[in-house]
Amino acid sequence: MIKMKVGFISFAHMHAASYLHAMLGRSDVEVVGIADEDAERVAPFTTGKGISYYADYNELLAQDVDAVVICSENARHAELTLKAAEAGKHVLCEKPLGLSEEEMLGMIQVCRDRGVQLMTAFPCRYLTAVRQAKQAIDEGQIGEIVAMKGTNRGTMPGGWFIEKEHSGGGAVLDHTVHVMDLMHWFTGSVVEEVYAHAETLFHETDIDDAGMVHVKFANGVFAVLDPSWSRSSSFPTWGDVTLEVIGTKGSLSIDAFAQKNDLYSDAAGKANWSYWGDDMDTELVNSFVDRIIQGQPVLVTGEDGYRSARVGLAAYESARTGQPVQLRR
Amino acid sequence: MNIAIIGCGTMGLTYAHNLGNMPGVQVSGVADLIQERADQAAAVSGAASYTNWEEMLEKERPETVAVCLPTYLHKTFVLSLAQRGLHVICEKPAALTVEDAKEMEEACSQHGVRLFIGHVVRFFPNYRNALEQVRSGTIGEAKMAHFKRCGSYPQGVDFWYHDRAKSGGIIMDLIIHDIDFACWMFGDVESVYASVTSPDLNGMEYAQVTMKFSSGAIANLTGFWGYAGPFTTQFEISGDGGIIRFDSNQVQSLDLKIASSGSGTEEAVQVPSSPVLHDPYYLEVQHFIECIREGSEPIVSAADACRAIEIALACEQSARTGQPVRMGGMTS
Repeated sequence: MIKMKVGFISFAHMHAASYLHAMLGRSDVEVVGIADEDAERVAPFTTGKGISYYADYNELLAQDVDAVVICSENARHAELTLKAAEAGKHVLCEKPLGLSEEEMLGMIQVCRDRGVQLMTAFPCRYLTAVRQAKQAIDEGQIGEIVAMKGTNRGTMPGGWFIEKEHSGGGAVLDHTVHVMDLMHWFTGSVVEEVYAHAETLFHETDIDDAGMVHVKFANGVFAVLDPSWSRSSSFPTWGDVTLEVIGTKGSLSIDAFAQKNDLYSDAAGKANWSYWGDDMDTELVNSFVDRIIQGQPVLVTGEDGYRSARVGLAAYESARTGQPVQLRR
Repeated sequence: MNIAIIGCGTMGLTYAHNLGNMPGVQVSGVADLIQERADQAAAVSGAASYTNWEEMLEKERPETVAVCLPTYLHKTFVLSLAQRGLHVICEKPAALTVEDAKEMEEACSQHGVRLFIGHVVRFFPNYRNALEQVRSGTIGEAKMAHFKRCGSYPQGVDFWYHDRAKSGGIIMDLIIHDIDFACWMFGDVESVYASVTSPDLNGMEYAQVTMKFSSGAIANLTGFWGYAGPFTTQFEISGDGGIIRFDSNQVQSLDLKIASSGSGTEEAVQVPSSPVLHDPYYLEVQHFIECIREGSEPIVSAADACRAIEIALACEQSARTGQPVRMGGMTS
């Protein structure tokens, strides 16, 4: 069997470890190497694991690699994607895709020009509940969608996530994109107006850790999303992904991490939720690998990443001006 | 306390039942244009049944009257009752405009009678518990909140809820419960933004409201008429030191299940419930009556009710224009 050769560029985002685990679980994938300027950070994944370490990602890109997974700080997504595309590698890029309209459109264009695929890492698409919800909606079980409400609340991640020069934004950018992607996917429409609050309410930090993002879609659907890092350390899990979809003939409600056991451990000193549902990161990676191997278009594209990230960017503009922001088509 | 009830729909019947069981209170008369409804309220309260409310007032001579009529009729009746020197307990929302609500408040004050508006959520033990936890600082400083309220499409007489000119629509009639509670918890409102479904939709109305408070706190409220599931309320308040949340579908302290008879003619029955000794409507009217007796201030004032209307109207305006609406200088 010819194996698909995969490299990883940067483990700045902790999702990299999960994607690596999923890649290593496939017999048709060979993980060639991991590039990261921080050797210590990736040592647990390279040393003695038969995976080469590269201090310079250019060296990794010079290898015989079919595709790369980019989990850098948000501010480097564009640079790394462009370099990878120019080296002829397919790209699975962590969200948010980029930090400006121009850089995201540039990433999409270069990948297209170089004939490589660009997939945005939106694992929530691969939640089993989400896939069944999409099917129910497409079958018309709840009629036409009229409105949606979502939450993607979390715990303040710290580190580079709260340094604007690396992250581009706080909670509103970090946590708007996942559920906004689901909203786009479910409606098949695009957001054309954004009204939002972006505030620092919960933590001693300069970056936004709270927000409320209202959107209006071209097809008339309206929606609201809470992307705040509002989960306290006492909360039984790190966060949530919920989405209520109101239709003309019914409604549906997704609570992505509801499949859990209630865990009470004296050692933890608080109640915890122990998740036992399907692993979305594995399904995301499987989808990426399968589509590349089959030579088929990936199922979550750069355009999808762009459509959702620009809502997060517009949310900041709206929060700054106090007015709704129109998105150019 | 001699009390009468005008309007014997769902709310009037609830009042009749509760007041009929309240020590020290006598429901003398109940009135509704529909005889059957009046009779039903009379049966549960021990009152005399009337189809003519003025006749009822003349004969029964109550000192307090509960107004459980559709919203658009509140003002006319409350003004008339105030003129007769009667205390009034009026269902929420007080009126469809701030001007009307203020006129009601002023008329009652002018005639030396009390006016209470039934913002019953303030009397729900789960909401009270949340307020107390927040006030005591258990979750640090409260910063964000979500409130949700959904149920079937209400079936008032002549479908008056469906006529936004009579009920004010879902924000004014349903979400106003959470608007009032959110104000109670978070204080002055800086701005609101809202979206609501088109009136052209059949059998449903859904709205989303975001309130930004002067404290910096943010709350999102949703309301849904036409929900296919059981009547549901949820809330979550997150602070910088913790979170408190409630879901009405997860507090069933009693779950009664009756097997089918086996003959196939009777279906199995499931009745999950969350029983309490007194429902919040009981606690509410009991509190109002106590305020009348003792001359004390209620935990929800007519001014609070006016503020809730003002905010609900600002939400309507936001939904209509697509713009946020600032609540400049509006405080209670």
